Amino acid sequence: MRAIRSGFLQMLVFMRRDMMLSAACLAPVLAGLGIRFGIPFLEAVLTERFSRSAVLSPYYALIDIFFSMLSPAMFCFISAMVSLEEADEKTAAYLFVTPLGRKGYLAARFCLPAAAAFLVTAALLPVFGLSTRSLADILSLSAGGTLQGVIVALLIVAFSSNKLEGMAVAKLSSLLIFGAAVPFFLRQDAQYIMSPLPSFWIGKAVFEDTLVFMLPAFASSAVWIRFLLRRYLRKI
Amino acid sequence: MRLRSLILWDIRFQARYGFYFLYAVLTAIYVAVLSAVPEGGREKATAILIFSDPASMGLFFMGAIVLLEKSQRTPAALALSPVRAEEYIAAKVVSLSAISLAVAAVLAAAAGVGAGEHGIVKLHIVLPGTVMSSAVFTLLGIIIATRIGSLNQFVLWTVPVELVCFVPAILHLFRAAPAWLRYCPAAVCIDMVSGHAPSPTGVMTVMALTAVLFAAAKHCVLNMWAQMGGAKL
Repeated sequence: MRAIRSGFLQMLVFMRRDMMLSAACLAPVLAGLGIRFGIPFLEAVLTERFSRSAVLSPYYALIDIFFSMLSPAMFCFISAMVSLEEADEKTAAYLFVTPLGRKGYLAARFCLPAAAAFLVTAALLPVFGLSTRSLADILSLSAGGTLQGVIVALLIVAFSSNKLEGMAVAKLSSLLIFGAAVPFFLRQDAQYIMSPLPSFWIGKAVFEDTLVFMLPAFASSAVWIRFLLRRYLRKI
Repeated sequence: MRLRSLILWDIRFQARYGFYFLYAVLTAIYVAVLSAVPEGGREKATAILIFSDPASMGLFFMGAIVLLEKSQRTPAALALSPVRAEEYIAAKVVSLSAISLAVAAVLAAAAGVGAGEHGIVKLHIVLPGTVMSSAVFTLLGIIIATRIGSLNQFVLWTVPVELVCFVPAILHLFRAAPAWLRYCPAAVCIDMVSGHAPSPTGVMTVMALTAVLFAAAKHCVLNMWAQMGGAKL
């Protein structure tokens, strides 16, 4: 446990040196302020300009989903980049033979940042969310967003062998979050083409206002994480 | 001749690290997304997509490109070779613009950007707009990338640049920006990307900005080379 704590603190030191730590703390709050005050203002401007009763407000729940994925995406992306640099410089292999070990390394680089992202999201969503939600909604959205962040981080480290490939995979994998928008825009059965994506089920749970749909979101996340973790561990 | 070789090597480098594959996949996804967008909003959606992705790929990827080159000690070799900083920068701008151009052409043609009564897509405006945007973003990427030590630092430094470039452009596209902002280079570029002919003043502004950024990028590249293996006495 001490080794995991040290491993996590070591990563925080790297992040502080790059000013990423302050950015990771500030960005969700700034984005939250932008959403909480900017989107309703924009809605007022757009409804007046286009003489419509609603332009953005039907999608407030979708904006909340994207906000719930923001902190996990940031925290996990930073962890993925640190891991990628460590894999690039071959320091990860050395860390595996220290008391930290493989499991400890994974806990320090992915589990602890994900846990921090979950807590931050659960704390910020009730403050900056645009639609009113119950405690169960907030906790499950935060958990879904966190799992999505972990999947993106694992995709980056599992499918790239250097920073450049990491950025390319990050670009492609960031598109996975848009699965959440599908139930809002595609009402026919064709929407189920996106069902392998956890974000699709998160979108479905919010759109249908039925928490049961979070179960396939968690189950598909588990499948993705298991597959990616195995590939990552085989690679390093 | 040297410039041609540098461009070809950059293209090979980008192909080896999957840029062409990545943008082939992204283009297919974007075309599918655009076909689902209602016709009324398709032109603006295409302009935003082209401006924020293929055109700005130089800004997104330059940190990783330069850091990878640094880790492979390429700048040290370049500093001692006859290659000039201008050629190094031009090769990056041209090779990345080529990808931007191809993706923008497919997206604009698929979405019918600027197609009027005759249904002719205004590629003669969209493509120069994409090249101009791509050059500006790539030069900004080089300026930032030569000064940073890690990818996280690069990502952090690109955020304010993206805000300054994207916010005025998107506000201008939706006619929600003050009139004077139409001379802002980002607004001129997105106007062209959306198939609207620019004013001569607008084009001059973008050209002037590109020249200033090119000079700044040259200064930054020379500094990087001096630190990485060239003489710094």
